[in-house]
Amino acid sequence: MNKQRKFSIFRYNPNTPEIKPFMQEYVLEEVPGMTIFVALNKIREDLDPSLMFDFVCRAAICGSCAMVINGKPRLACKTLTSDLKGTITLMPLPVFRLIGDLSVDTGTWFRQLSLKTEAWIHSEKKFDPEAVEDRMDNRIALEIYEAERCIECGCCIAGCVTANIREDFLGAAGINRVARFMVDPRDERTPKQYFDVIGSDEGAFGCMGLMACDDNCPMQLPLQSQLAFVRRKMLAYGLWGK
Amino acid sequence: MQAHKLVTRNPRAELYYDLVELLTGVMLVGFLWTHMIFVATILLGIDVFDALSRALDDYYLSYTGIPIIILVFIMHVLTAGRRIPTRYQEQKVIWRHAKMLGGTDTWIWVFQVITGAAIFALASIHMWTVITGWPIRAVTSADRMHAFWWFYLVLLLLGEYHAGFGIYRQFVKWGWFPRKPLGYVTKMITAIILTLGLAALWVMYKLGGAV
Repeated sequence: MNKQRKFSIFRYNPNTPEIKPFMQEYVLEEVPGMTIFVALNKIREDLDPSLMFDFVCRAAICGSCAMVINGKPRLACKTLTSDLKGTITLMPLPVFRLIGDLSVDTGTWFRQLSLKTEAWIHSEKKFDPEAVEDRMDNRIALEIYEAERCIECGCCIAGCVTANIREDFLGAAGINRVARFMVDPRDERTPKQYFDVIGSDEGAFGCMGLMACDDNCPMQLPLQSQLAFVRRKMLAYGLWGK
Repeated sequence: MQAHKLVTRNPRAELYYDLVELLTGVMLVGFLWTHMIFVATILLGIDVFDALSRALDDYYLSYTGIPIIILVFIMHVLTAGRRIPTRYQEQKVIWRHAKMLGGTDTWIWVFQVITGAAIFALASIHMWTVITGWPIRAVTSADRMHAFWWFYLVLLLLGEYHAGFGIYRQFVKWGWFPRKPLGYVTKMITAIILTLGLAALWVMYKLGGAV
């Protein structure tokens, strides 16, 4: 006989605002290797078809199933119930628009981020499909790849105090994204162009260094060093113009 | 963008704010640690303490240093204080968030704000009493600390906490060192200075109240 696990799950549907947010309890048999994602599907199938939550890939690639698990922003598909003690409390990520229960809209937020940081390679070069690709230094390629591992799950944003009280703050995901283009030799943006985007409290200087992003990133991105890298770059341009 | 905002906009303003917060913070930490070492000269005897105080006066270090520190103190309050959430909902969000997350660094920051506000009040009182009771001599300081030891104990603890974690946070933000060893080093320095401060406070307490 497997252990019974108790879940306490945040319930709220914006379409029925007369029902105030509340915590609902479910009890489930824990099976070996059970993740929060598996448990939620089981609850929806067997106990409550009205429960709302997001998932796509089940393999920590898509970033859809991020939620607050026992107080910490985590991916449901990457969190084993056996690693958690006692009642498992599930809340939706803060900062993002609540769709209902555990489901939030991270897409709109991240699209805004992409537009604001112009998260694409800025180049005047004419593209020649016949030409051999430019070679890239392996060290730089790895640096870019490291930043690109971000799956945009929103855990860093949800954990961030500043992002929770400042709507315009780009957070670690945004600053990491800019850092990615800063090291890319194909991007022809000048330091001034970067400064205009993140040389303010909306970007680099809004960070208070509480490092909840770094502590809670499910992909273990080096967010502290990325944030510091961008902050130092902004200082270099702001004071010495380079 | 509206006209006033368009005309007054300085794209570097927030960089400068951040730098002033950093520099004034580092200066205040440096000052606090030096100050505590100076006060701890009482451990070497009344004569050493008074000689140091006289020397600082003779070379005009007190007269130039104190006004500068007051200015730096005010600038630090203004620049670091700009981050303090003052609205009701922001306050509720911060407390709820800190409790939910249980992150050490987030809680440390909440206390950083509280200790900062408390230091603003207590350090102002301290500066006022010291300046109005000029010059600094072991006897007068000892009497003060004998009577108000609880005030100085609180101020010492708050000051060291705020300074230790403040400098840690700046290093984390600018990324000069990795986080874990950095926390260890700042805690060690804080422990040393705190021990010195407590020892000095104890000696002063014993010395004072003789009359």
